Amino acid sequence: MKLLALAVLFAVVYSPAEALWPQPRHIQSGSSTLRLAPGFEIAVVGHGVPGDLLAAVGRAKKQLFADNLQRLVVGRGAEDKAAFDGAKFLQRLTLTLEKDAKYTSLTSEAQKALGERDEAYSLVLPADGSGATITANSTLGLFRGLTTFSQLWYEYENTVYTVDAPVTIQDAPAYPYRGLMLDTARNFFPVSDLKRTLDAMSLVKINQFHWHIVDSQSFPLEIPGFTDLAQKGAYSPSQVYSLDDVREIVSYAGARGIDVMVEIDTPGHTAVIAEAHPDYIACSQASPWATYANGQYILGDAAEPPAGQLRFADSTVTSYIADLFTAVTKMFPSTLFSTGGDELNLKCYDIDEPTQATLNASGSTLEQALDVFTQKTHKALEDQGKTPVVWEEMVLDHNVTLSKDTPVLVWISSANVKAVVEKGFKVIHSASDYFYLDCGGGGWVGDYPAGNSWCDPFKTWQRSYSFDPNANLTAEESQLILGGQNLLWAEQSGPENLDSIVWPRAAASAELFWTGPGGNISTALPRLHDVSYRLRQRGVKSISLQPEYCALRNGACDLTA
Amino acid sequence: MCCLCAVLFLAYVQAVLALWPLPRSLKTGFTTLKLAPDFGIHVNIAYAPADLEDAVTRTKAFLRTDRLGRLVVGRGVSDSEAIQRAKSLGSIELSLAHGASVRSVTEEARLPIGTRSEEYALHVPADGSAATLAANSTLGLLRGLTTFEQLWYEWQGEIYTTAAPVLIADSPAYPFRGFMLDTSRNFFPVADIKRTLDAMSWVKMSQFHWHVVDSQSFPLEVPGFAELAAKGAYSSSTVYSASDVQEIVAYAGARGIDVMVEIDTPGHTAIIANSHPEHVACAEASPWTTFANEPPAGQLRLASPFTTNFTAGLLATVARMFPSAVMSTGGDELNTDCYAQDPETQADLQASGRTLEEALDVFTRATHAAIRAEGKTPAVWEEMVLQHNVTLGNDTIVMVWISSANAAAVAAKNFRVVHGPSDYFYLDCGAGEWIGDDVANSWCDPFKTWQKSYTFDPLANISASHAHLVLGGEQLLWTEQSGPENLDSIVWPRAASSAEVFWSGPGGNLTAALPRLHDVAFRMRQRGVNAIPLQPLWCALRPGKCDLDS
Repeated sequence: MKLLALAVLFAVVYSPAEALWPQPRHIQSGSSTLRLAPGFEIAVVGHGVPGDLLAAVGRAKKQLFADNLQRLVVGRGAEDKAAFDGAKFLQRLTLTLEKDAKYTSLTSEAQKALGERDEAYSLVLPADGSGATITANSTLGLFRGLTTFSQLWYEYENTVYTVDAPVTIQDAPAYPYRGLMLDTARNFFPVSDLKRTLDAMSLVKINQFHWHIVDSQSFPLEIPGFTDLAQKGAYSPSQVYSLDDVREIVSYAGARGIDVMVEIDTPGHTAVIAEAHPDYIACSQASPWATYANGQYILGDAAEPPAGQLRFADSTVTSYIADLFTAVTKMFPSTLFSTGGDELNLKCYDIDEPTQATLNASGSTLEQALDVFTQKTHKALEDQGKTPVVWEEMVLDHNVTLSKDTPVLVWISSANVKAVVEKGFKVIHSASDYFYLDCGGGGWVGDYPAGNSWCDPFKTWQRSYSFDPNANLTAEESQLILGGQNLLWAEQSGPENLDSIVWPRAAASAELFWTGPGGNISTALPRLHDVSYRLRQRGVKSISLQPEYCALRNGACDLTA
Repeated sequence: MCCLCAVLFLAYVQAVLALWPLPRSLKTGFTTLKLAPDFGIHVNIAYAPADLEDAVTRTKAFLRTDRLGRLVVGRGVSDSEAIQRAKSLGSIELSLAHGASVRSVTEEARLPIGTRSEEYALHVPADGSAATLAANSTLGLLRGLTTFEQLWYEWQGEIYTTAAPVLIADSPAYPFRGFMLDTSRNFFPVADIKRTLDAMSWVKMSQFHWHVVDSQSFPLEVPGFAELAAKGAYSSSTVYSASDVQEIVAYAGARGIDVMVEIDTPGHTAIIANSHPEHVACAEASPWTTFANEPPAGQLRLASPFTTNFTAGLLATVARMFPSAVMSTGGDELNTDCYAQDPETQADLQASGRTLEEALDVFTRATHAAIRAEGKTPAVWEEMVLQHNVTLGNDTIVMVWISSANAAAVAAKNFRVVHGPSDYFYLDCGAGEWIGDDVANSWCDPFKTWQKSYTFDPLANISASHAHLVLGGEQLLWTEQSGPENLDSIVWPRAASSAEVFWSGPGGNLTAALPRLHDVAFRMRQRGVNAIPLQPLWCALRPGKCDLDS
């Protein structure tokens, strides 16, 4: 192990051209140039190779010759020409499952429970042109290896080449949950935007799409048996994810090694349900919203419009939500299902007569009613084989009964992680102070001229990258960390800035949770430039982190250069 | 004054009206009017210039292709009955005032700042009789057409307005309403610039300030100086050729926009060392923090007569590529440490017996004389007035960028002012430091919201006797962290903020402006510009409902 670690350092220092992201956990690379043969092939050994792996191989083969990414150095490869003109050709990459492993679809591997997914792989690229190999225990591992392989190559004058051969990699993620959250309720994103985002996620080995699909502002999800919600709650009939759309997105994600965790946020963040079921919603569009809505937008007490939350003390509402959850579980094969639970506004229920009447009749407190609601709705999920996931308030602010298996999304502050793990819960890092992609764009609430965003400042990639998943945790508590994610709340986003606000920043947490924390931002920067440029070659509008002058001159724009 | 009262009243009760910038005098009604299927725009001008005819063609196309639904719940469904019953508007009649000379829009747009005629009068009667648009110039007619386009929405194939009759008399409060783009830190293809010019024209901006080159790259092909781009552009495909420049300048002119090019000197010129190392002091010197505000270091050897001649020749040549009456010679962020350690500069200074400041004066006079000889008025950054002691013509335009607090000092020296202060108008602020190996916020944090820009007061601390020196202002995009990928999303709709401040005048109400600005953003999207959402769509469809106190 020690020798290997030394080799890693050596490779990092002496092979600056290498631009893998996330950085493999163990890598040795050389400085020989090798080019792809015009008839380069990718073979998958064995019988019963699943169709989604073959499709991934087909995409990889195409991308190797379509990326046309030039090396990020002055001259963009002109100086490599002498080396690659005489370089050996690589004819073949062979993908092989380890002995005893059986082929199952990439999709089914990706959709396994967290902790049961096997993403490890080994990659060998000899310098002499003899065949390259990727071996793994699962099709998901082979796919991860293929993604790494695709990042080794550059193009110059129609030659596709690497300058890092030989390469030997043994790789596996540090954390099982590496996600990206997108809110499609504040503003709507067409299916093609989601698919493009999934493509970009897979390039950096993100394995979890957390889909915050509905919220108080709109309900863009068509659910069998509950179609009135989208009919009356979507922004328009064309801004709805149909059953087919969901199926398409889930399968597109699965074929790219990504599991889709849907979130139906309850009991708050549900004002739009009033459009179809006014009886189920307390303080619907009540004014002033700053008193009754969900959020801590301003002054810690307030909110975001519109107000309105489920009357969770009402058993009819509870049954309705349990049935709704059951119906939604059938649309999403993931074992994970987020029930939300953030930003419950208690004042809303204080002034809601039906809720007060129900509480009086049953003799229970609001917190007790919340416990009943949560137990019943979570049971509906568990009956369908799902593991509920909740936002941190359900553990830290309320006294509800939750299974200890419940993963908890910590968002308010990274400082709250400790309290969650001390209660024995597993954590998905989503802290606004490190991972919120929407911060720093100014306040969006109207008539609020001096308003900066509540989670100012902008979270730079460096900020996300420097996050320590184990801060203040004991070794034992650290075992409860499942991983983490960057998140985009879409009050000020839409298809117009989806790519530019997400990429390449969201790659920061992707590396953090694959490679593990402690990465160096100076050595990461040139690799992140590479991610960004490659994403652009693939049609994702990933933004510039620096002037191109800097991107082509590793280190020249560092503070100390 | 009565007119003003009507404006206030209507802005309050009538959220449907979504003109941007808000006309300075406006009366509207509540009658629904639709466009006749054969709606015509008639130019009643003998020998109307081709670029006006082109503008008319564009307007006619936008009226049909915008297909913008009204920003209300239902998007127009509640208008459908009124649309059915509505009278049809058959035409709009364009005319010039008696005695007005007929010049092209382009010529009018390029007149010296302060001499352009942009005023117009627009009348859309409620009874379906022909609308009229009159102006003193073709440029005024273009501005009026732009306003006319913004009156219309679409519902189920019908193009309609709910605000007839409309009576507008309009003219800008300030002549310089600009947008600055830096194409050196990262390159922007011609198509991106043209799309930006389109968007600028929709909010009646009059000036494109093109910061075309800088220390990082030189993407401008200059006849006789081809080596600068050949060796200084990022690649051979990221260069603006002479014909690209012609195309951009013509495209801008036809849209009522003048192009002020900037060749920033003597600082921000490191890249010239790639082809002319003899002209650049401390080229790529390390540590760059000692010699420059951002990497790479390198500035023109301003004390060298040889370099001064070279620069004067370069500026004169560039001046000939741009028909505008103004040209910026830059002059910001000069680093004196760079010259202190440059043996060549020290030798030049000793030989001439001048101080560095005296040499800068000689350099500035020579380069300004060169562009004046080409008919240009120089524009400079504020340091040339506030930090250096150089001789500048009284008509020099000074762009204030470091702080809005510096505008008064510039005006007090009797120079004309263009507001471009980083604390109000820098579009790049707030996205974190871009320098490597540094975890910090951007130097000009926080992000400048549209609200911040909108609340700018052009006359703050400027005495009444100097108020006439304020030409207007601009929002600016420095592109260390921008490229074609986020050009639209970082600029729009925010840059519309200053467009209204400098057209309609300051003091606009943010709450009343927000629904109109939503409209700007939505219409831009319909036209292919990726203007971002300012709020959830829920809010955009319910004016006022997402206000803090709602």
